[in-house]
Amino acid sequence: MSERAVAISLKIPDNAAFTASVALGRLGVEADRIERSEIWHFDDTGEGSTLVSRIEGNETIFNPNKHRLTLLEEIKPRPGEVWIEELGRHDETREHLGGKTIAGVTNARRYVAWRFLRASGEPEGRDVVQRAAQRLLCNPAIERALF
Amino acid sequence: MGSFAGAGIALRPDELRRIAENLGRDPSVVELHAFDAQWSEHCSYKSSRHLLRALPTSGPAVVLGPSEDSGILHFGEHNGERYGIVVAHESHNHPSQVVPFEGAATGIGGIVRDVVCMGAEVIAVADPLRFGRIVPGSHQRYVAQSVVDGIGAYGNAIGVPNLAGDVYFDEGFDDNCLVNVVALGLVKEAEIVHSYAPRNADGWDIVLVGKATDASGFGGASFSSVTLDAADEESNKGAVQVPDPFLKNVLMRASYRVFALLREKKITAGFKDLGAGGIMGCSAEICSAGGYGAQIDLERVNVAIDGLPPEVVAIGETQERFIWALPPEITAAVLHIYNEEFTLPQIAHNARAVVIGKMTAEKRYVMREAGNVVMDVDIDFLTGSIRDDLPHHEIATPEPSYGRPLVTGMPFGEVLERVLAHHDVASREPLYRRYDRAVRGRTVVARGEGDAGVLAPISGSKLGMAVAVAGNPRYGGIDPRLAAEHAVYESVRSVCAVGARPTGLTDCLNFGNPRKPEHYGELVAAIAGLATAAREFEMPFVSGNVSLYNESAGGKAVPASPVVACVGTLSDISCVVTMSLKQPGSVLYLIGHPQGALGGSVVLDVLGRHDRTLPRIAYEPVQRQHDFLWQAMQSRLVRSAHRVSNGGLIVAVCEMAFSTMHCGHTGIGVQIDDPWQWTHGALGELEALFNEAGGFAVEVAAKDVDAFEGLADNVDGVYEIGVTVEHPVLSLRNEAFDLSHLYDVWRRPLAEVYP
Amino acid sequence: MSHRIAVLVFPGTNSEEETARLLLECGGDAHIVHWSKASTLPHFDAYVLPGGFAYEDRIRAGAIAAHDETMDHVIEGAALGKLVLGICNGAQILLEAGLVPGRGELRRPTAAFTRNGPVPHFVCMRTHMKLVIDPARSPITAALPKGALIPAWVGHGEGRLAAHESELRALAENDHIALVYAHADGRVDASAVPNGSALGAAALVNTAGNVFAVMPHAERDGWTYNHPDRRRGDDMLAPSGGAVLFRSFVRGVGGR
Repeated sequence: MSERAVAISLKIPDNAAFTASVALGRLGVEADRIERSEIWHFDDTGEGSTLVSRIEGNETIFNPNKHRLTLLEEIKPRPGEVWIEELGRHDETREHLGGKTIAGVTNARRYVAWRFLRASGEPEGRDVVQRAAQRLLCNPAIERALF
Repeated sequence: MGSFAGAGIALRPDELRRIAENLGRDPSVVELHAFDAQWSEHCSYKSSRHLLRALPTSGPAVVLGPSEDSGILHFGEHNGERYGIVVAHESHNHPSQVVPFEGAATGIGGIVRDVVCMGAEVIAVADPLRFGRIVPGSHQRYVAQSVVDGIGAYGNAIGVPNLAGDVYFDEGFDDNCLVNVVALGLVKEAEIVHSYAPRNADGWDIVLVGKATDASGFGGASFSSVTLDAADEESNKGAVQVPDPFLKNVLMRASYRVFALLREKKITAGFKDLGAGGIMGCSAEICSAGGYGAQIDLERVNVAIDGLPPEVVAIGETQERFIWALPPEITAAVLHIYNEEFTLPQIAHNARAVVIGKMTAEKRYVMREAGNVVMDVDIDFLTGSIRDDLPHHEIATPEPSYGRPLVTGMPFGEVLERVLAHHDVASREPLYRRYDRAVRGRTVVARGEGDAGVLAPISGSKLGMAVAVAGNPRYGGIDPRLAAEHAVYESVRSVCAVGARPTGLTDCLNFGNPRKPEHYGELVAAIAGLATAAREFEMPFVSGNVSLYNESAGGKAVPASPVVACVGTLSDISCVVTMSLKQPGSVLYLIGHPQGALGGSVVLDVLGRHDRTLPRIAYEPVQRQHDFLWQAMQSRLVRSAHRVSNGGLIVAVCEMAFSTMHCGHTGIGVQIDDPWQWTHGALGELEALFNEAGGFAVEVAAKDVDAFEGLADNVDGVYEIGVTVEHPVLSLRNEAFDLSHLYDVWRRPLAEVYP
Repeated sequence: MSHRIAVLVFPGTNSEEETARLLLECGGDAHIVHWSKASTLPHFDAYVLPGGFAYEDRIRAGAIAAHDETMDHVIEGAALGKLVLGICNGAQILLEAGLVPGRGELRRPTAAFTRNGPVPHFVCMRTHMKLVIDPARSPITAALPKGALIPAWVGHGEGRLAAHESELRALAENDHIALVYAHADGRVDASAVPNGSALGAAALVNTAGNVFAVMPHAERDGWTYNHPDRRRGDDMLAPSGGAVLFRSFVRGVGGR
């Protein structure tokens, strides 16, 4: 059993990321670029090398025509990134995976990741990310933010 | 396909030669893509337009026939003004197979634009869907779920109720789902906006409105006109269209505001949806339809990213865009409404209204980029009609083979349960509960409460609008002509079942590759069937759509799928009838002639039998039955009614009882008389109860029986079949079946697909 | 002196027309006010936030709209005691803005109407709501009979009340749960709840009683023609059914 995580993002235009950046701009949180992705954190009994192809078998969370998939090296937010987790929705593998399973995956946690980048591609500082989470991205009544 | 197939060009060598001859030179890259889009089946209807001329398109109810983005049917008068219902019907099959959520959502987005651009307010959508068999974990299941979520996400967000629809699950759709979408709008007939520029429009502004143009949806028109290859799905991604219902919500409201401004200033303008062929297709058509040419400057187009090739900007099918043809004196005010009042640039990245060119008296279509001419063609040659005469096989109606009555060793209760649990019969509620059906507060009969959805769309008026869809693929697989006739008949019947008068039709024809004579033959036969039924019912087609090449790489085409929507009017919504049984002690009638033909029926499917004899439609008695039902409903003699369709009469009666339970009322039961008696021994029991020939089951209160039977005096095909009783039990002969149990059996199958 | 009600339109709102129409027919002086005209809002006496998908519920339902200039004016008005009614998306916005239940800081929500459970899907169906507070607890419910049963439609994907345990207890103890889901016959049980909402809550009211957040749409079952059981006899076009909630609100505002 290993823990592994992937980020799934849209390769078609992401309307939600645009709206988030306009809204955050109005709140005084400026970033050159905001990227949104879904993070899936799996308990996996299968081979690490086959995880990507196993995920690709579950169209509900990954459709190659619109998604891009990145295997994360570490299971934690990257620099310039915050993960938002909905409280009380941990062990819901079946629901999260759209009623479909992924071979070898015994548990799945889902996060929404927001990544703040400068025009140069460098990640924004932690203060920007924290303010964004506090002002808008995280509702403390039902979510928590991981930095 | 020609040698350009690899470059994403579907034009054939003979078509390329015609273009080069007309231009007197080789076409530019932009021109090549422009003709590829305009001459695709999707835009040109080259292999179907001449066939479609057989359909009746005129009549007293027709305000606008199939010539623009949508047709318009007369609806009624209120406060001295005439109102029309705008009707549009389209398919989004290919995109939905590849990216089901986005494909289906943009289907709704596109059809809604077709209605808005007639100057109408969008009041309803409907969604006839055809999916493959639902096997757990299958691609078909993913498609079936994501399509429904996409339709819901889009329609719900823009605030348009989903009023009607149907769904079938058939292995013929395993590789190609069908996502047909219908949109309806309300417009005062004096305030219709046309998809062409009016007279004296030389020098008018061409204004592009909406989302910034990006690379999405490039190649969409020809994409929807080629067969689908699973291995190509990755390379099709350029054709993925990205929905933005949030932007559309704002665009619709802003456009309504522009309509008001134009009315106030008494200005006639042209307005058109950007669909297939993008900026080029739309601007060329709006100008050529008015008798003009155009000069377009691609640099003025608001783009999402820099460096897009000119052919992508010109022809790509980015969603959520329109084109206006406006007299220059009003342009600034229109731009202000979109850009300032409705703040488009803040709603989506670089969304806005912008002037991109001018209309010209000279009938040439000229496009420039950075001062260079990238396209310069005769506009009528570009948009003019082209025609492919293709060979077809005659598809004959199978000879009827009425044999002996159907006999099965299976107990009746088990046959009934299997039929109720069949995927084409089981409750659709788990699916449509994902759709907003009541937004706008005008819903009179919501989906599932009656056979047609009904709205009261005009404030202060009792006028009701009804709509229903139909098209049975089990019939299509046997006989396209009769399947088409039944699609018309069933949609008309459904509208009658709620007490409305049907007024007009719209169709979407989903077929395989027209270059295969057997598939083209199916299209030819289906159009003949539509024409027959429409003439018999005296009902015009005011709009429609053709979707060909619904075929997988393996050459497997979908079953012939003529899908029809029927629109109707109730002069007084207080006469509306729903399907739930209202009280014990009522008398149940069948209006309609039961037939022995069980071909294509659900009961044969569950018994694993095959028969190619479809029920025939006897139009004259059917018309009289419809008139009689309408009169009885006008006289308020009918408490509930449900059309006989999939599963037959017994299913119709059960569903009437289920509907009562669903409304939270104490269940009402039904006692059905021995069919041997009321069919006078003409039919076997299974035929009488499970045939799908048509007709209605209706409930008449005991006190109204004399009046009802009096009205029925000269009508053929009215049978007293039973009564309603106090407890939720279905009794037949000496057997009794618990309706609460049957309700569960009926509810469960689709709840597993749509939890 | 007529009391003017503003029906607010955020980008993405979709129920403004029927909401304003029913308010008018219930005697309210309702005006639709568009987001680009937010600066006129101080001149109104009450605010109604209709349903829809403001900003398409991107990030979370109601989250972005809660920070709009429009909401600055609503927050000011609520502090002055003006009545505020949020329906569906409007209710979600009021919770995100911290106005309801109003037990924490502004724009630091203590509760949310969030993703439905156990199945996380949009659900549209007929429903009923039952008044479970003393009508006098809020001027918005004051004209309703005790235990009133109000027919409505639910139409949301994020209508499940969720909060930390201690907050949910406080909501129950302090009569913040104003309406709960019920069956047509008035029975209240878990099977009447379409979305897994904590405490079966369909509507919440703030501490002062002047801000009311209700998920189901009473205005979609607000006319006689909207419901098969009411269609016989009455004037088809008259307000009825869910209109009782709107009448009570208008009465509270001081309309006819």
